[in-house]
Amino acid sequence: MADVSPVVPPVIELLDVTRRFGEITVLDSVTLRFPSGLTTAIIGPSGAGKSVLLKVLVGLLKPDAGTVRLFGHDVTEAPERELFAARRRIGMLFQDGALFDSLTVGENVAFPLDQHRRDLAGAERDRRVAEKLEWVGLPGFEDRPIASLSGGQRKRVGLARAIVLEPEVVLFDEPNSGLDPFTSDQIDDLVLDMKRRLGITFVIISHDIVGTVKVADLVGMLYEGRLVEYGPTADFVRSGNPIVKSFLRRNLAPPVSAFDPGEGR
Amino acid sequence: MRFLESAGRFAYFLVDFGRAMARRPPSLGAILEEAFRIGVRSLPVLLVIAVFVGTNLALQGANAFAQLGGQNLVGTFVAMAGVREMAPVIAAAMIAAKAGTEMASQIAVMRIREQIDALEVMAVNPLWYLVAPRLLGIVLVLPALTILAIFVTLLASWAVVVLQLGQSGAVFLAEARATVTGADLAFSMVKGLAFGVIIALVSCFFGFQAGRGPEGVGRATNAAVVTVSVAVVCLNYLLSVVFYG
Repeated sequence: MADVSPVVPPVIELLDVTRRFGEITVLDSVTLRFPSGLTTAIIGPSGAGKSVLLKVLVGLLKPDAGTVRLFGHDVTEAPERELFAARRRIGMLFQDGALFDSLTVGENVAFPLDQHRRDLAGAERDRRVAEKLEWVGLPGFEDRPIASLSGGQRKRVGLARAIVLEPEVVLFDEPNSGLDPFTSDQIDDLVLDMKRRLGITFVIISHDIVGTVKVADLVGMLYEGRLVEYGPTADFVRSGNPIVKSFLRRNLAPPVSAFDPGEGR
Repeated sequence: MRFLESAGRFAYFLVDFGRAMARRPPSLGAILEEAFRIGVRSLPVLLVIAVFVGTNLALQGANAFAQLGGQNLVGTFVAMAGVREMAPVIAAAMIAAKAGTEMASQIAVMRIREQIDALEVMAVNPLWYLVAPRLLGIVLVLPALTILAIFVTLLASWAVVVLQLGQSGAVFLAEARATVTGADLAFSMVKGLAFGVIIALVSCFFGFQAGRGPEGVGRATNAAVVTVSVAVVCLNYLLSVVFYG
């Protein structure tokens, strides 16, 4: 598909990125630019390469070909110091929160501050932790053990930790996965609230089209390692691309009978 | 082939770890916390094992030397076998069984739950954060546990010699004292230190290499304890050759 170059300058760019695992090509010449201050969602079915794309984007996986640029700097082969400097400007919410079980909720949220902002006095550190927990709807949860949290609460704590350093970009890996529709809806509202409150760049990897349409400004679709569609959300949902149409129909349409002769057309 | 692949990965792991340590020294608080945890958790089982190694060394030594008419040599035998060989190895084996398996499984669980990826994304080197305190904690505590194991082994042997075999405790102690030198204790501590390095690095390495799911955690822990056990007994032989020829 044609390269999309949004008017807003990109903070993250993947240029012609290919990533293989053995004989399998998981990302195939993907070019994507994530514009500053906007929410971009990358959707696609399981196995489309979404999670690999996110890992390549933050340098957890190196591409076999192509370039990754963070904040204008090529970090594809960057040394750790440079990569870490860029990562300090990025927060990430992992699928299951990736919280440290041996620490309390407050210690988890404070973790990035303890590592990178040791200049902050104890009271200021605690104030920031309390503020972020309040933003995600968990005020006063500082002393709770991680084991006592529900799936939705783990995601909220993960989000509080992701934003505690006040990053310029927040990445979301399947924010709705493993949640019931009601909690999933609450997480979408939380993402919207954060978007309004912070006004920063969000990148969301998801297979949940309902939540995506609700929160994203731009949507791209990965299918079998290729970017098959990318554009503003309103245009995306009206796309004539048969793969996109099929994916949207499965996700947006009310359930149909298995014997409905119209299905799959 | 798989052994060579693992050896290559381990070499990379060591290089990466060395680089991480060179960039930023680990926190003293984290090292002391690990040392305390390893020491306290491993102490009871180590004491029990050391006692029964001591009792059996005394029994077998007494049996063997009785046939040769040299009952007084039990002290020499226990000192040589216990101090130089058994105590360092059993201390290492207990630390490997308790702390080593814990390291491998904890890190493996962190790997499969994306917590290690989270550290990376938060610009924290996982080798620096997870391996360095564990390595230095074990290096701090294992030589001390080795010395403790030596004294408990000797004490248990003395008790068997005096209370069970009815032989002279003074002769046993005099023989033991004449055999064990300061250098022997120092060599045992060096063994403890070397075993500590092996236990920490190999256990953490297998934790980092864990595959997906609970099965991956089990396999990593199993591989760690088997590899550490083999490595410790091999290294013990090599160090004994170097120290005692």
